[in-house]
Amino acid sequence: MQRRTFLTSVGAGATAGLAGCLVGEGDDDGGESDITVGIIYSTGGLGDESFNDMAFAGIEQAEEDFGISYQNAEPDEPADMNDMQRQFASDEDIDLVCCIGFDHETDLAENAEEYDDQRFALVDAVVEADNVANYTFREHEGSFQVGHLAGLLSTMDYAHGAGETNTDESRVGFVGGQEIALIERFEAGYIAGAQHADDGIETPSAYAGSWNDPATGQEIATGMYDEGADVVFHAAGGTGGGVFQAAQSAGRFAIGVDDDQSISAEEFSDVIVASMVKRVDTAVYESIEAVVNDEFESGMNDLGLEDEGVGATIGQDFDGDLPDDVIDALADSREAIIDGDIDVPDNLDDL
Amino acid sequence: MKAPSVTRRQGLLIGGILFGLITLGLLIDGGGQLIGDVAGVFSVSYLASAIRLTVPIAFAAMGGIFAEKTGVINIGLEGLLIIGAFGAVASLYALSATPIGANIWLAFVLAIVASTIVALLFAIVCIEFKADQIIAGLAVWLIALGFAPFASIIIWRRTSSPSVGTFSTISIPGLSALPSIGPLFEATPPVFLLALAVPFSWYLLNRTTFGMWIEASGEDPKSLDTAGVDVRKVRYAGVLLSGVYCGIGGAGLALNTGQFVGSGDTMIDGRGWIGLTAYLIGNYNPVGAFLASFLFAGLEALQLQLQQIAGYDVSSTLVGIIPYVAVLIVLTFVGRTRMPSAAGEHYDSDE
Repeated sequence: MQRRTFLTSVGAGATAGLAGCLVGEGDDDGGESDITVGIIYSTGGLGDESFNDMAFAGIEQAEEDFGISYQNAEPDEPADMNDMQRQFASDEDIDLVCCIGFDHETDLAENAEEYDDQRFALVDAVVEADNVANYTFREHEGSFQVGHLAGLLSTMDYAHGAGETNTDESRVGFVGGQEIALIERFEAGYIAGAQHADDGIETPSAYAGSWNDPATGQEIATGMYDEGADVVFHAAGGTGGGVFQAAQSAGRFAIGVDDDQSISAEEFSDVIVASMVKRVDTAVYESIEAVVNDEFESGMNDLGLEDEGVGATIGQDFDGDLPDDVIDALADSREAIIDGDIDVPDNLDDL
Repeated sequence: MKAPSVTRRQGLLIGGILFGLITLGLLIDGGGQLIGDVAGVFSVSYLASAIRLTVPIAFAAMGGIFAEKTGVINIGLEGLLIIGAFGAVASLYALSATPIGANIWLAFVLAIVASTIVALLFAIVCIEFKADQIIAGLAVWLIALGFAPFASIIIWRRTSSPSVGTFSTISIPGLSALPSIGPLFEATPPVFLLALAVPFSWYLLNRTTFGMWIEASGEDPKSLDTAGVDVRKVRYAGVLLSGVYCGIGGAGLALNTGQFVGSGDTMIDGRGWIGLTAYLIGNYNPVGAFLASFLFAGLEALQLQLQQIAGYDVSSTLVGIIPYVAVLIVLTFVGRTRMPSAAGEHYDSDE
């Protein structure tokens, strides 16, 4: 028996070593669970310091807590996703296939039906099937929080890092990438949050029309700061770099998106007062936890403030420096949203 | 070329009728308010923003003029801008690791060199090997579109660079202190370079021997050859100049924002193509090309401002197609644009 255990572990080690060249594979030193997860990322791939890296962080956490093992797959283009899904789905050792990103939606709708004995988790999109657990985010709730913070800062006299508020006007801005329903959720929540802080606040917002045009983002934000905006929030991907640049030039504040951008865009940490973080890692972790506890359920998981799926994360340079009454007010509005006392609009018409 | 099927007067009439209809529509549809708001947008900071947006478009347009006037149609302007933008950011990043330090002007020059080298390759392919100029131009764009993000991944492990530093603002002593228009004389170096490049290009084309050679090389290369001037050399010079101009435009854009974004269409985002339409509308005149570029950039800046005035939903996509619609109208109805007669044709000197 001892000899057999030894052989198995050597075999596993050798496989892991070989597989390491192609795919990362978790070793199962944490322990007790024999669940194996296959995870397929979106085309940005690992190392994007955002969406995919957060999914990876979730699976690493699950490995540490439950001792699961995992296999990574990184598609170069959406066309690779179908093969990867089918490969993991037909592998009998794999107990859960995690698909990260909305690009997986169409392929998964077919594959979930064909491999009806496999379990799937889908992040950022919805496939209605008995064996798919969907994870989406209530981005408007997190945006409400950062909007509330922006509104509070705009009405007070505050200076820290490279920024300083302008006390004459109560004005905060929003810069979007492309004008799509998903991004309007960010905008609606943000404006509602700013108005929660100050009824009379001005909230200019504009879309650059692109995810990769920092020059236009910079022009929009510069215009907003010139008009007296104290804080600008972006939900615009690469276009947002221009917003941070404009904040630094104007000596005002900005708010990041998706992950804590005061860390991922560290050059601008002196103006990034907070980020609206979308916890992709939590979604991945929860889907694995459900399988480990044998509680896998298909259907919708809409992660909001309560589940810590979204939220405002204070920038690393600002953590501990914001006035206590601002932090308390944020905690209060967070509670109120969770308790249902504040109804956060998820589109501009309900604003 | 045939005489235009619609005379200039008729073209103006058509334009006038269209303008009248639009004005009438606005007045009936409560547009009086819109006209008031649009008028409210025009300010010195709006003008400054429009000029900044003009820089890459106008440089690409003037570069295109030099190439096409000599008889080589360079539709790879977009690609050359991408090389200029990437070259500037990558050079600045690399320089900061050397004893020279992050010298922004040196990075600017290196970017121009990079773009000129790519233009030289294009020239060799078109002039020595008599390749189809349109296909070779498309290749320049596609290669740049693939190369820049690829090189970014090698250098920074992702398609976008971190922030590497920007040009600082220069004020012209005296003029920048003027009341109301003062802010126009406080800008980054590329804006001032543009102000110098437009008259310089006009002078070079219209008042120098070299300008006459360029004209002759595109209109009647045979006569130029007979006069003892090497047509090949003049064409090389024209294409290389387009590389220099695009290098300035691309580097100016990237060094204003301080980073390179390579996802999607890259941060150039179609500015080279708009430059192409700008010089067609400007009828191969640097001043006309500048005015057309300024018109398109001004409309873009206007659209960005109007979005921020609550109540207007101007589609950024719609404004984005205006340059292309405008060039169609100008080419079809007004017919004032006339290509150099030998543009696109190879020239063989019968020695």
